[in-house]
Amino acid sequence: MIKKYIHIGIMGTLVFLGAGCSDSLDQPILGTYQADQYFTSLANANAALTAVYVPLSYTDAFSNQIWVLGDVSSDDAVKGSLPGDQADIDNINNFNIQTSNAAVESVWGRYYDGVSKANFVLGGLTDENKEIPDEDKAVIIGQAKFLRAYYYFTLTNSYGNIPLRLEVATADNLAAPVVPQAEIYAQIETDCIDAAAALPTSWDGSDFGKATKGAALSLLAKTYLFEKKYELAAAAAKQVEDLGIYSLTQKFTDNFYATTENNSEVIFSILHTSGLSPKQGSGLNQAFAPRGALNGYGFFQPTQNLVDNFEQTADGVDDPRLDYTVARVGHPYFDMEFDPSWSNTGYLSKKQVQPLSEVPIEIKGDGNLNVEAIRFADVLLIEAEALNELGNGAAALIPLNKIRKRARESYLYDDSLGNTTVPDGLLPDITTTDQSQLRNIIRRERRSELALEFGRFYDIIRYGSAYASDALKDIPNFNFETNTFFPIPQSERSTNNLLD
Amino acid sequence: MMIFTLKPRWKLVRITFLFLCMNLLSYAQEKMIEGKVVDSETNEILISATVQVIGTTVATITDFNGEFKLMAENGAVLEIKSLGYETVSEAAIFDALMTIQLAPSLNALNEVLLVGYSTQKKSDLTGAVSTVNSSDISALPVGGADQILQGQAAGVSVTQSSGAPGGGINIRIRGVGTINNNNPLYIIDGVPTQNGIDQISPNDIENISVLKDASSAAIYGARAANGVVIITTKKGKKGEVKVNINGYTGIQTSQHLINMANTAQYVNAFNIAATNDGRALIPDDIIAGLPNVNWQREVLEPAPISNVQASISGGSDNTTYIVSANYFNQEGLIRNSSFDRLNLRTSINSTLSKLFTVGVNMNLGYSKNRQVGSSGDGFGDGNPGASVLRYALFRTPATPVYNDSGQFVDLPENPGFFGDGLNPVGYADNYNRNFHEYSLLGNVFIELNPIENLKIRSDFGTNFVIVDYKQFFATWGIDRFLNSPNSLAQSNSTQFDYNWTNTATYDLTINENHVFQFLAGSELVKSNTRQQGASRTLYSDQDPAFQYLDNGLGIQQNGGNETHWALFSLFGRINYAFDNKYLATFNFRRDGSSRLDPSDRYGNFYGGSIGWRLDQEAFLEDVTAISLLKIRAGIGQLGNQEIGNYSYATLVSSSGYYPFGGANNQGNAINTLGNPNVRWETSTQTDVGLDLNVFNNALSLSADYYVKNTSGVLLQPQAPPSAGGTASAFVNAGKIRNQGFELELNYRGDINDKFKYDVTGNFATVTNEVISLAGGAPLVGARIDNNYFATRTAVGHPIGSFYLLQQEGIFQNEQEIFTHAYQGPGIKPGDVMFRDVSGPNGEPDGVIDENDRSFVGKSIPDFTYGLTANGSYANFDISLFFQGVYGNKIYNQINTDIEGFYRAFNITERIATQSWDGEGSTNEFPRLSWDGATNNKRPSSRFLENGSYLRLKNIQLGYTLSENTSKLLKFSSVRVFVSAQNVFTITEYTGIDPEIYTNGNSAGDGVRAVGIDWGTYPSARTFTVGLNANF
Repeated sequence: MIKKYIHIGIMGTLVFLGAGCSDSLDQPILGTYQADQYFTSLANANAALTAVYVPLSYTDAFSNQIWVLGDVSSDDAVKGSLPGDQADIDNINNFNIQTSNAAVESVWGRYYDGVSKANFVLGGLTDENKEIPDEDKAVIIGQAKFLRAYYYFTLTNSYGNIPLRLEVATADNLAAPVVPQAEIYAQIETDCIDAAAALPTSWDGSDFGKATKGAALSLLAKTYLFEKKYELAAAAAKQVEDLGIYSLTQKFTDNFYATTENNSEVIFSILHTSGLSPKQGSGLNQAFAPRGALNGYGFFQPTQNLVDNFEQTADGVDDPRLDYTVARVGHPYFDMEFDPSWSNTGYLSKKQVQPLSEVPIEIKGDGNLNVEAIRFADVLLIEAEALNELGNGAAALIPLNKIRKRARESYLYDDSLGNTTVPDGLLPDITTTDQSQLRNIIRRERRSELALEFGRFYDIIRYGSAYASDALKDIPNFNFETNTFFPIPQSERSTNNLLD
Repeated sequence: MMIFTLKPRWKLVRITFLFLCMNLLSYAQEKMIEGKVVDSETNEILISATVQVIGTTVATITDFNGEFKLMAENGAVLEIKSLGYETVSEAAIFDALMTIQLAPSLNALNEVLLVGYSTQKKSDLTGAVSTVNSSDISALPVGGADQILQGQAAGVSVTQSSGAPGGGINIRIRGVGTINNNNPLYIIDGVPTQNGIDQISPNDIENISVLKDASSAAIYGARAANGVVIITTKKGKKGEVKVNINGYTGIQTSQHLINMANTAQYVNAFNIAATNDGRALIPDDIIAGLPNVNWQREVLEPAPISNVQASISGGSDNTTYIVSANYFNQEGLIRNSSFDRLNLRTSINSTLSKLFTVGVNMNLGYSKNRQVGSSGDGFGDGNPGASVLRYALFRTPATPVYNDSGQFVDLPENPGFFGDGLNPVGYADNYNRNFHEYSLLGNVFIELNPIENLKIRSDFGTNFVIVDYKQFFATWGIDRFLNSPNSLAQSNSTQFDYNWTNTATYDLTINENHVFQFLAGSELVKSNTRQQGASRTLYSDQDPAFQYLDNGLGIQQNGGNETHWALFSLFGRINYAFDNKYLATFNFRRDGSSRLDPSDRYGNFYGGSIGWRLDQEAFLEDVTAISLLKIRAGIGQLGNQEIGNYSYATLVSSSGYYPFGGANNQGNAINTLGNPNVRWETSTQTDVGLDLNVFNNALSLSADYYVKNTSGVLLQPQAPPSAGGTASAFVNAGKIRNQGFELELNYRGDINDKFKYDVTGNFATVTNEVISLAGGAPLVGARIDNNYFATRTAVGHPIGSFYLLQQEGIFQNEQEIFTHAYQGPGIKPGDVMFRDVSGPNGEPDGVIDENDRSFVGKSIPDFTYGLTANGSYANFDISLFFQGVYGNKIYNQINTDIEGFYRAFNITERIATQSWDGEGSTNEFPRLSWDGATNNKRPSSRFLENGSYLRLKNIQLGYTLSENTSKLLKFSSVRVFVSAQNVFTITEYTGIDPEIYTNGNSAGDGVRAVGIDWGTYPSARTFTVGLNANF
């Protein structure tokens, strides 16, 4: 009988021996930080900041479709490529826009992702965080704020009244209501002002491409312009000029060639580098290049209407920016001849595309050309426009004529134009100070100078109903009232129950 | 004869006996009979067998040693009965110990089922458990052990991902209980595994039990909500050495190709559309020289399949063993896809002494799976690449496969006319994607038998798996440079899972009527997974001899990670039977999981069931037709712990790179939001069932009705995109209900000695409904276009219901367009007309937009069924296996490419020839126009099809050599057979194969995106010949 109990004892021991194993449940989280324990080193903070820059990139032309919302929608460009391919881009061009439109979804998601990543940095780098030195913290915060403002600027120009998110969403706080556009602009102003105060005027070496004081002030100027706060816009633009480090390059094309992309005109660049993995090259190079032997996709074809915007002298000499911007028959397509079968409109975009000598066809989608998101020419045109709107036409002429001078003097600096003198009557200085006349001149100048730089549609809308309706008169479906903004995308509508 | 001689004495004996009893005297002529009852096959003792002296009421039952004693007179005849055995009569022997052998009856009553940590007789079972035996599955030419479950058990729905060799299998037990992981738990020889079923050979399986209801599965607690599949592998048997060899070999061919347009039809349709749209026509001089290629035929080539299995088994009184080896090889219909598996298995059980038994089961496995892109368009992480078949369908027939110098033609000469789809033959030919898996699956155990009826067992099991992935992306193409620069990717993952399981079982019988079985145990399960990967680009030589990382001259990359999880549990079970009539089972498990927040890691799970054996009641005693009639009912709670390892925490990880300084700088951001309150999903299930065997067990029936309510379903409420790109947190919020009826039927008929047959059928319905999403927005699934999702998981509808516009017809004239709801600019007669279902205010609003989408079908069938018929006549045998599903829909996404007519892709023959060409011509297929495609190919019911099918999955004809012939050949038995797989399919589905789970694009959406066909890898029709020999 005793033996029996011994055996039962053995049983009991064996069965419950495992009880000691309950410690095994303490399995640590391996290889990944918990968010509330992340901002413990400068390196970590910098990595979180790097993530905020990522959505800027054009590594995939079709996941960053700002070129569609900003230009295909306008009178400057059409979709191009094969009929039916990426039909939603055509739908933007025709203003047959469903809430599930791919471009509408893509820009919204990508730019808000940037906002969210900025919020993660800003939420982690609180005053209480003592593990990151204050000076570093300030500069990181400055960049995050600039980027957040940059993303919001595109978002509100594209979609109007939108959610304003300043903190990382949490599991129980995912939805957010829309706020009036004015509140979004106000936040952009605040962020830009904070950023301008915190950021250095320039970065050296491997830090090139990070946000600077000039970038923050330029974005601030542009925001004021969009808000029609002309006085502030002119003042902010002046502040950029007063930094004394920016000037127009002698050659317009310096802004669009990889070899000359770090120049005095760049204020904020979106960086691309070939040959990295994961890929960090520009996908625009492939998307905008012609199909066929050049291994492009043939998207983003300029319109006749855009071509006609470029001035021409009485002798038929074109504004040199036309052929810097648009490829066409009879003019070289970089280092080769233009083939008319490449385009439905007869034109291709040259901006954001590189010659084969720089990027061979094998790595077509991995170009190394940066995208100059803000350049000094834009600031000068902001200044000109703001001053003119303030009724100070004379002052407005100064920045405006700097733009025209640089354009016409291409003949002095660009050997390929085969001339060492500026042709007669080419882009003469403007002299009129009539506000209304000058307004039209500045608008035309802005369109030529910044053509195919992904912002034309926002200008059209900003100029108001009459201008917009005229510009898009060929698009029967366009209606200024209903198409001022793109619709908030379906994916947001079906998930954000605080939207309305 | 004996009965006749006995009969006249019956009265006398009885009267005498009664008289003697009354006098309480022993009768001089009666003597003690002692004996033992054993199983004739295994020699195991049989407890509780009834021994009765025929013609008397003298009876007893055997004790725990299978022994009995009773008094009888000379010449008495004993009748010995035991449940599940053929009843025998034997003349009493008085002078020696009788050994009575009972042969197992041919009915299912004696079937012993695995019910988790122990076994139970089917007749005593009170839960819902289905079984599949090796005899049902031995000769199906399938690669995976999981495939053999298809159509075999009611309520167990098995769908292959695609027909690709080595492709995955999706097993759903009693519907879809969650939007998350719905895979059952697999227990193989006691070892819990997630994918161990892929590592063993189907030929090594002895028996599969599927625990379907909560009362039986509760013993597995937090892992059992999706059901439990318990697999026992073959063991050696006491006796002479047996050698078994079986094998088959055969050929697979393609079937049910889609009728595509030929070159003439394509050109004709193109030119009609070009005329309609005012575009350039294909000129006659080009037409003259065009080839006519059938791309499906080009990519789907006949391919061999074969399997060979050899085993040696045997055993002495104390030790049994089996050693087996298996090799399976399947080439795919599509070039560069194949599956090879090699298994070596050993199982030894040895009784060391009265006290100790030890044993070991070890399965060593190796498999090689070569894959081609077979599903989807290549979009999405982990997608093996765009489907070869998709390109085969939309590459126009007017483009040759090869050019004059034997190279693959890449772009057609006129892409505007003939499209720019990849050359599918070239695409497949350049596929070089390989997975090598090495696995060890097995356990060792020691069992103590310290006292009668008590067994203590300690099991250590492991599943150790190494997966090597290697893929070379060769540069190819003569016009385009695909995969440029070329690159090699390799990765390696090591998964080490182990479990330590301790159990004690104790059998207790009180007053002969109360039979108890107790089980108590503890279990520790741990899993460690580690992986690393590397890649390089720029291989100057694409020869396989140089496809090694060292040879890459370009970019080098690497990465790696590791995860651990653990589960610790205590559990117990009580089985109780009263008088063999009333049965009850109670299960309990307490689980602790590392996957929950450290502050609260434990949960309890209960299950109980009762049964009533009506056939044992007096009122049914005389109804001899009924040998079993049992009703049963059960209820229980189960958990689903497949909730991710760290769902409770908000995690930060790499979120892309940015090239400051021309180098890749890693960016880190929040990748997933956490929720510290995450618990496992809980499913509460009630089940009522009936088991009936009649006509001497010739007909057996088992029916069940269940309701399975899953609550706390982890939802990852789709975060608004404005919340950023982070994955949102899991919240236990959803409620899902599955209910269904299941029926299993078996009939065995022996027409005469030579002609025998049996038919087994099963049928199961399931109704799935989302009861609550806790107020959250419906969940979308199955991206079929940029930001366009085909399905919606919403309250009141089954999971993953199709949510689309409805095609109302075709606009026949301008008048119809004018009077119909506005569909957008440019609509012309011949375009698809959509139904104006609703508007922003819930009323039809005269505008066709997102508001007009509605629920138009579900991917979960109304019912599934299987039917197996076996017949034998003399030495011939035949078996037929049908399997089917009914009531589900499939979204034929590939038809949006080949019927949507939006680019210069090839089209189906019916679109080329039956499209709208004038008022009244058709109300089904729109006009031929690319301009019209924006409207006509909008995701709608136009592309949603009936997915029901009935398939003759297998037919097999066998011949067993006569004993004499076998002996001449020195075999003890030889059977040869021919078999055909996927003989025919009855379906309305126009895609290539209705047996499709989902596609590579949607894999991440799980059950929210089932039944989306992007051009799947089709099932093959397979013809095999085989041999099964024993000696």
